[in-house]
Amino acid sequence: MAKWVLGIDLGTTNSVLAYAPLEEEQPAIGLLPVPQLVAAGTVEARSMLPSFLYLASPHETGGGAFDLPWASGRDSAVGELARGKGSEVPDRTVGGAKSWLAHSRVDRHEAILPWNAPAEVPKVSPVTASRRYLEHLIGAWDAAFPEDPAREQAVVLTVPASFDASARELTRQAALAAGLPEDLVLLEEPQAAVYAWLAETGDRWRRHLKLGDKLLVCDVGGGTTDLTLVGVAQEEGDLVLERIAVGNHLLVGGDNMDLALAHHVAGLFAHKGVSLDPWQSVALWHSCRAAKEALLSPGGPKKHSIAVLGRGSRLIGKTVSIEVDRQGVADLLVDGFFPRAALADRPERRRASGFREIGLPFEADTAITRHVAAFLGSHDDGSGPARPTYVLFNGGVFKAEVLRQRLLELLAGWFPEGEPPRPLVAAPDLDHAVARGAAYYGWSKRRGGVRIRGGTARAYYVGIETAGLAVPGAARPLRPLCVVPIGMEEGTEAAVPSEEIGLVVGESAQFRFFSSSVRKQDRPGDLLERVSEDELSETDSMETMLPADEAIEEGCVPVRFHAKITELGMLELWCAGTRSAGRWKLEFSVRQQGQGE
Amino acid sequence: MRRLWTAIRAFWRVLVSRDVAEAVEELLDRGVVPKATPEPVAPKVEPKRPEPKARARSEAITLLATLQREARFVDFVKEPLGGYSDAQIGAAARDVHRDCAKVLDRLFAIVAVLDQEDGSEVEVPAGFDAGRYRLSGHVAGGPPFRGRLVHHGWEATRCELPAWTGSVAGAGIVAPVEVEMKAES
Repeated sequence: MAKWVLGIDLGTTNSVLAYAPLEEEQPAIGLLPVPQLVAAGTVEARSMLPSFLYLASPHETGGGAFDLPWASGRDSAVGELARGKGSEVPDRTVGGAKSWLAHSRVDRHEAILPWNAPAEVPKVSPVTASRRYLEHLIGAWDAAFPEDPAREQAVVLTVPASFDASARELTRQAALAAGLPEDLVLLEEPQAAVYAWLAETGDRWRRHLKLGDKLLVCDVGGGTTDLTLVGVAQEEGDLVLERIAVGNHLLVGGDNMDLALAHHVAGLFAHKGVSLDPWQSVALWHSCRAAKEALLSPGGPKKHSIAVLGRGSRLIGKTVSIEVDRQGVADLLVDGFFPRAALADRPERRRASGFREIGLPFEADTAITRHVAAFLGSHDDGSGPARPTYVLFNGGVFKAEVLRQRLLELLAGWFPEGEPPRPLVAAPDLDHAVARGAAYYGWSKRRGGVRIRGGTARAYYVGIETAGLAVPGAARPLRPLCVVPIGMEEGTEAAVPSEEIGLVVGESAQFRFFSSSVRKQDRPGDLLERVSEDELSETDSMETMLPADEAIEEGCVPVRFHAKITELGMLELWCAGTRSAGRWKLEFSVRQQGQGE
Repeated sequence: MRRLWTAIRAFWRVLVSRDVAEAVEELLDRGVVPKATPEPVAPKVEPKRPEPKARARSEAITLLATLQREARFVDFVKEPLGGYSDAQIGAAARDVHRDCAKVLDRLFAIVAVLDQEDGSEVEVPAGFDAGRYRLSGHVAGGPPFRGRLVHHGWEATRCELPAWTGSVAGAGIVAPVEVEMKAES
């Protein structure tokens, strides 16, 4: 029987483990100090584990340089040391594995990271890298609580709300391979932020929120932006929370702001005749990260000095520094990432050229406010764009009050009638809120506390080749058949009404698979005619195989789809025979290269 | 009589202000005055600290190595200042200062022993710890002593140094030699 609930925030740049005892009457949430290598042969416990993996060369690992308190003879490191190596030895450092998990254009089981590393460097797959981060957290937990190993506890692992079924499945595979229990629950990060707020607020949340309120959860992390809308509904006279909508996976975050600032300051240096070498450029990036908070906080001197320390032992002699205009830099960041957009504005989309390099699909438009406008606009509730009454901020970027103010100010302008949206802060400590929220969720699930309902965030579609006259040389047009609607609840299943589909015995049947976070009107069995690419995005295809040795006489078995959302929120799609009792499960074929645009 | 007046005031304030109404509801439900921000409750069972291996080196060296790694402390102090202008020293010092402070905060959580302002009147209690207070000037008679606060003192509220797992040969190394390999092209 599980004694603890572990809330794990497997972040793009940092991972955190929070925990709470299940038997306590009140949620008592603690943060696990995670011992990690901070330098070769030096282990320090910190509350955050940077999500980086360093693959050491065999010559570096002697003398227990990479030993951890619970493991010795290691040839790789996760955490602070690995983060530092990212700039010193980029060819051997894996970062951003999580963003790769959601990227269906590459095989996530293939050893492709570090991306573009030379051939002699050992590589790992995005799934393996995620597994390694989790193994480190589990190692730290098991060392701290030897009587209660992680595999026997209740575990809640967070994923971006924008992760589709395939990315969630991969995350789950990494978690199970790392040794987490089978009944592990995946929780969406913005929901975890709401739970963190609930944990702080306790039962008083029912006073703060009223029927019809809408919370815009704006979660801007290091590398990603995640948007979610949560509504307050009523059920048997009691207020309940309901997740209404989630945004798309946006690869823009605080790291982009640091880089933009570093780029600007490098320009100032160049103007002064100082050119920075690659090492200094990285050092400048770190200085800018440290300076960002000071530059964005109100008050303070007009000029702020940013220095790049000399690299060698002559520190002072080789240091170069420059004065930057505080207001100018603050404007650059605030207007660059949170510009005064109109509600009707949409993110700029650069036309992809004929050849697009594979690699992470970073956003062409870094203006987070325009992405927010697009998100609210795409969830029109019939009377115009969705109007939030509260904004819940999460993510380290929002430590800067000026950015919170800017977003609130814009929202107030977008919806001039009625009271302007009011701010809520997930937890005083934004870096750990998601993990704390996950632990609170696990605790309240056992205790019967408040839960956010919502079901699936997306609708899913299987591509069906349409019958009709075959045109030589042209593929038959593909039409998406809705198999799972938005909001399908956990623990439910449904047969999908459709024409019969023939599965050939002994051959792998493959179906193209699509998802949409905006098409709320579609019901299972709906066959869509014409859909814009904005509404529907393709994810990994699904496949199944009917073994030839089954008691099937014909060569082709007519089936219909059967969709199921497990109690743990995982999507399962089955093919059920219409004339026989057979049922075959479809699996994501992530090993397959993603299909074209 | 006074309670009647309070009740009437409360009635009107609740009626006109949503914030007051919320606060009063909360007060009635809980029966106690709510704290502005409830302290987070930590679990009673503390995680076990991993046992450090046999100490191969002094923790003082580990601290020094940490200050050097994260704040370039040793580089800064070892460099002769003779040929540099104050502005040049200042440019480097800002970063070293900021990063040293971060290390000290994280490892030692240093706080002032007394939170009064320098120059204010303070009392040194009877039976005070001689390590906690340093008395100067005209010290006569017995405690409690009264005097002017010259320095509020500093206290480390935590001491969590990194554990060293490296080799004996590396035990004295404060900063390793750095060698950069060029890419073969």
